[in-house]
Amino acid sequence: MKILITVLCLCFTITTFSQNYKFGKVSEEELEEKICSIDSSANAAYLYKYRKSFFEYNKENGFELKTEIHERIKIYNQEGFDFATKQIRLYKSGGAEERISGLKAYTYKLENNKVVGEKLDKSGIFKTEASKYSNQVKFTMPNIQPGCVLEYKYEITSPFASKVDEFVFQHSIPIKKVEASFEVPEYYNFKVNTKGFLSVKPVIESGRGSITFTNTARSSNSYYQLEQKSFSTSKVDYSKQINKYSLDNIPALKKEPYVNSINNYRSSVKYELSYTKFPRSATEYYSTTWEDVVKRIYKSSSFGEELEKTGYFEKDIDALIGAVSNPAERANLIFNFVKSQVKWNGYYGIYADDVKKAYKNHVGGSGDINLMLTAMLRYAGLNANPVLVSTRSHGIPLFPTREGFNYVVTWLRLPDDSVMLLDATDTYSVPNVLPFRALNWQGRIVAKNSGSGLIDLYPTTKSKNAMTMMVKIDEEGTLEGSYRSVKTNHKALSFRNKYNGADKDAYLEKLENKYGGIEVSDYQVKNDKDLSKPIVESYKFIKESQADIIGDKMYFSPLFYLKTNENPFKLEKREFPVDFGYPSTTSYKLIINIPEGYKIESLPEATAIGLPENMGTFQYKVIGNAKTIQVLVTSKLNQSIISSIYYEALKEYFNKLLQKETEQVVLTKA
Amino acid sequence: MLKKYITVFLLFFYISSYSQSKIYTSLTIPDNLTEHANAVVRDNTIDIVLESANEMHVKERRVITVLNKQGNRTTHAYVHYDNNEKIKELQVIVYNALGQQIKKIKKNEFKDVSAVDGGTLYSDSRVKYLEYTPISYPYTMEFICETVTSNTAFIKPFNPIDSYFLSVEDSSYSIEFPEGITIRTKEKNFNEFDLEKQELANKFSFKVSNIEAFKPEQYSPFYTLIAPRVLVASNKFSLEGVNTQVENWNDFGKWMYHDLIKETHDLPLETKTEIQNLVKGDTSQIEKAKKVYQYVQDKVRYISVQVGIGGWKPFNVSKVDEVSYGDCKALTNYTMALLNEVGVESHYTVVYARKSQRSIEKDFASMQGNHVILNIPRQNEEDIWLECTSQKLPFGFIGDFTDDRDALVITPEGGKIVHTKKYEEEESLQSIKGKCSVSNEGAIEAKVISVSKGIQYDDKYYLATETERDLDVHYKKRWKYINGLTIQEMSLNNDRDSIEFIEDISFNASNYSKVIGNRMLLQVNALNRNTHIPDRYRNRKLPLQIKRGFKDIDEVEIRLPSDYKIESQPENVSIENKFGSYKMTLEVTDENTIIYHREFTVKDGDFPKEDYAAFRGFYKEVSKLDNAKIALIKK
Repeated sequence: MKILITVLCLCFTITTFSQNYKFGKVSEEELEEKICSIDSSANAAYLYKYRKSFFEYNKENGFELKTEIHERIKIYNQEGFDFATKQIRLYKSGGAEERISGLKAYTYKLENNKVVGEKLDKSGIFKTEASKYSNQVKFTMPNIQPGCVLEYKYEITSPFASKVDEFVFQHSIPIKKVEASFEVPEYYNFKVNTKGFLSVKPVIESGRGSITFTNTARSSNSYYQLEQKSFSTSKVDYSKQINKYSLDNIPALKKEPYVNSINNYRSSVKYELSYTKFPRSATEYYSTTWEDVVKRIYKSSSFGEELEKTGYFEKDIDALIGAVSNPAERANLIFNFVKSQVKWNGYYGIYADDVKKAYKNHVGGSGDINLMLTAMLRYAGLNANPVLVSTRSHGIPLFPTREGFNYVVTWLRLPDDSVMLLDATDTYSVPNVLPFRALNWQGRIVAKNSGSGLIDLYPTTKSKNAMTMMVKIDEEGTLEGSYRSVKTNHKALSFRNKYNGADKDAYLEKLENKYGGIEVSDYQVKNDKDLSKPIVESYKFIKESQADIIGDKMYFSPLFYLKTNENPFKLEKREFPVDFGYPSTTSYKLIINIPEGYKIESLPEATAIGLPENMGTFQYKVIGNAKTIQVLVTSKLNQSIISSIYYEALKEYFNKLLQKETEQVVLTKA
Repeated sequence: MLKKYITVFLLFFYISSYSQSKIYTSLTIPDNLTEHANAVVRDNTIDIVLESANEMHVKERRVITVLNKQGNRTTHAYVHYDNNEKIKELQVIVYNALGQQIKKIKKNEFKDVSAVDGGTLYSDSRVKYLEYTPISYPYTMEFICETVTSNTAFIKPFNPIDSYFLSVEDSSYSIEFPEGITIRTKEKNFNEFDLEKQELANKFSFKVSNIEAFKPEQYSPFYTLIAPRVLVASNKFSLEGVNTQVENWNDFGKWMYHDLIKETHDLPLETKTEIQNLVKGDTSQIEKAKKVYQYVQDKVRYISVQVGIGGWKPFNVSKVDEVSYGDCKALTNYTMALLNEVGVESHYTVVYARKSQRSIEKDFASMQGNHVILNIPRQNEEDIWLECTSQKLPFGFIGDFTDDRDALVITPEGGKIVHTKKYEEEESLQSIKGKCSVSNEGAIEAKVISVSKGIQYDDKYYLATETERDLDVHYKKRWKYINGLTIQEMSLNNDRDSIEFIEDISFNASNYSKVIGNRMLLQVNALNRNTHIPDRYRNRKLPLQIKRGFKDIDEVEIRLPSDYKIESQPENVSIENKFGSYKMTLEVTDENTIIYHREFTVKDGDFPKEDYAAFRGFYKEVSKLDNAKIALIKK
């Protein structure tokens, strides 16, 4: 028996190993597979994903970065057909561009138990200029059927040697086998950054490479002789480091709600150039430590130099703050000045295009605006520094890289030692209330002497939404009364962004319809433009059918239409943290007048529930007397981000919260 | 004397320059035009000169004041071009609220990209567009553009309102044409708007002024169907070098069939044999057609590639046969060639696709439509329509993508307008049979079998291929009003033969009914609660349109908790009105069992705007009745 098992195992291993990943060697087994062996829900899968990136010397251009790609994809069903179309982006910049060559592609299927391949015709390959900065090559495979396997390979030659595309090891479909390598000549030193949930470690080997130079020498022996050319070749050997990756059976990466960026969790490896050291030339540093990164960013002309410029605004700032000596007031004046003078064009970036131009044209990117702001604050004698940020959609900068940041805000320390973060790209942003896009882990402060430090971008102050209602419910179940809410920080910011500039009638209609058609009158918003104060929204309203009237009893939820209707967490399982962006408090305070002739029969019991480690609390209390009922509900989320290990608890917490909020008050006819 | 002259002259000058520049300042907009408007077209002038059937010049000057951020997208500061259409002039000037020029943007400062949308693999069309960040609102943008093209098949219509929340101060349009060319026009939706027009022998001009903004409202016709416009077409035109003369749909159809379709039918012999073998022995036309449709669905997929004439002419049939993909034209044409091979007559049909049910203009032949489907004519029976870009739709089912609208059917004898399949409310039926049991603690266990047809089939059939994880979330959302719901079993069956989607779902939820003292309030309708109430408008402007009807029939057996008995129950209800009907009955079969019947029908139709409140009232009433509760009391 034991022997049999061993034999079986052996056979099994053999068949597994017999997979042939050579281009064109698609097997019958691969074509026959009906359902993906590692994920039965997969519509398509990479059977093999190969990439090799290496440097090659060429006389005209020096070292060029070459990347060979070979991918084999299985299509299981029609939903997977999208993977039969491939898009390749080729960068270009300043006259140099990436080139593609050797594109070959086949669709394989079984015909009479034989593997038959069909070649992609040239007419099915399309090249377009996607924009000033990139070309695009697109192709789609012929004769795609459920069950088919497609395979393609190509090579990209890039003149941008320091820009190595990320090695991505995880996609929205599973991968059965990955092989990748990156070969680096000794002259280059790359830093490697790994992210994601998989353990991805390269095997490092060393190899040799060589460069052959052809030297042309001109010589002439005498005045009369014609110039002669002679050629000599010389060979330079160098060593290279080879990083090899081999991974099997990588699960698909699936989207989940409340995730800042799914890319934060995608398994991938990024090489970033840290320094170059060519023979007979000085070492040139790019980045290795945070200090290096910051130094290099600071040194670049579009950062440090732009930050140093003051001439373009001096006169205006002098006039603005000349009469003010209080530092906090000065800061405030300057912040508001930048917000009103220069509008954000929607472009992210840590560098300024041209602060002067942005100032003159009243338009700029995040780099222009916040470097300008920092410069102005410094000019006013304040301690201000730029903060490098990676926005929510950009992922988390876990490792020291320049490309890890895509945004910049301003840090300010006042003489009283209070510290604040400022972002002038959003008209309604106030100190320490950054736009939602910038709320992503930590930012890096770049000090004047180009030292650096970390600062939390998630706010510590809770954003509040405090609602109060004074209402009267009549015998028919119609609710009538007044509503008032006070919103602070991010709640106020998002309100202002939605409300200001919107058509007021349309806004009101939206509000009415959001609650299933309440009828609103006397609608008022206070402080919509005064950012120093919270938003105060108030209105009177009527809403029908807010109670069930059965026999001589009335039943209603004491939060009425304000109660939470749905649990936002519906997934049974979750892999990634839940990211709310900021901590918050939502509270309700209601005073309900009950109809004449009714008395309270029962009220929901008071309760308090909490999330583990004090991450959140929910308190609920209803008290009543002969004529009125008072409701006090407070729900707090004390953290911006909640680890996935608490997902079950979080889901259950919302479940209980919902349950409690639907509990009913019972009134009886006296 | 001289001085006097000068004064007068200056005065004139001043006046005329004032009247010119008044459109650049935001301060002079009449109040009625800023209401519900994100932007105001101050003056839009389109001048088209048709030099010949092969050369058309289009000059546009558009001065638009943008009032707020949402208005930015209505500036339309972009222009498409391709090998046949060249941009001769392009520039934008921006003015501040006072009408002072603050920026000038030249042609080469526009972004230039390939005009490929998400669904297209390749197109040779390109677009130059402006990326402009406003410094403050309001501001005014003047867009000046001139193009010349050899394609005269499409003549820009006079379409003064091309967006919601956009009002028009002045908009004018002219087209000049040479002798020998006839221009046809059709005016639409001018009942409430004054159209100034002038029709000369070689030039037509149109002008409108003072049109207030349209605001989107639920259950209203799409604005393109109600906004005023003048359609324009030339009897002689050229399309990617193909010249023709067309007076009516019949001519148009003939031209399309003979110049664009016929010659593409080069089915390879091998495929001919294969398809012949496939239908061998079938005598019924329908059976043959079904097999061919299935063959196409198994073989091809939708990929859009638009190059030159290929934007209008299908790929050759042999090409589709070879690569197994194509766009709507190619796939429809391919299916047609195969059907033709087995002796089933079918016709290439041009439609406007999308839910909005836009029709091809019955009495105005011009380049129209954005999609192609296939028509199989039948004697004394409804025609069959095939959507050839879908690999999933059942035979003869087109759903809400192309239903219930006029389409152009192209036959060798010419074109004709035919109305596509309409799904009546009785056909768009969802019937639910359910069993629910409620425990003494208020927990619910439910088993639901739901069968959906017609448009309700269309809404759901995609679920058949969703992953279990996504389905789990989907059903939790469908019954979102039940907190803490756990799906226990799901089994879905997409029956493509009878065109029915069958869902068999079991779920439970621990806190369905709340025990209050010795009572329990049980919401009877657990499985199909209407939670939708149409939006309320303080001042409804647009007519009421219910685009499609439907019917829901529910029959649910409810087992009551054993410790409780009924204290009071909702009364049976029957409502009937011009929008539909609602019936609900509760039948107590034994001490602990009740049967809940519910029938909810909404009919399609067009009604005046005054009816909207009543229609909304109907939905409100239904929602309320769906919330009806039985009060149970401890035995």
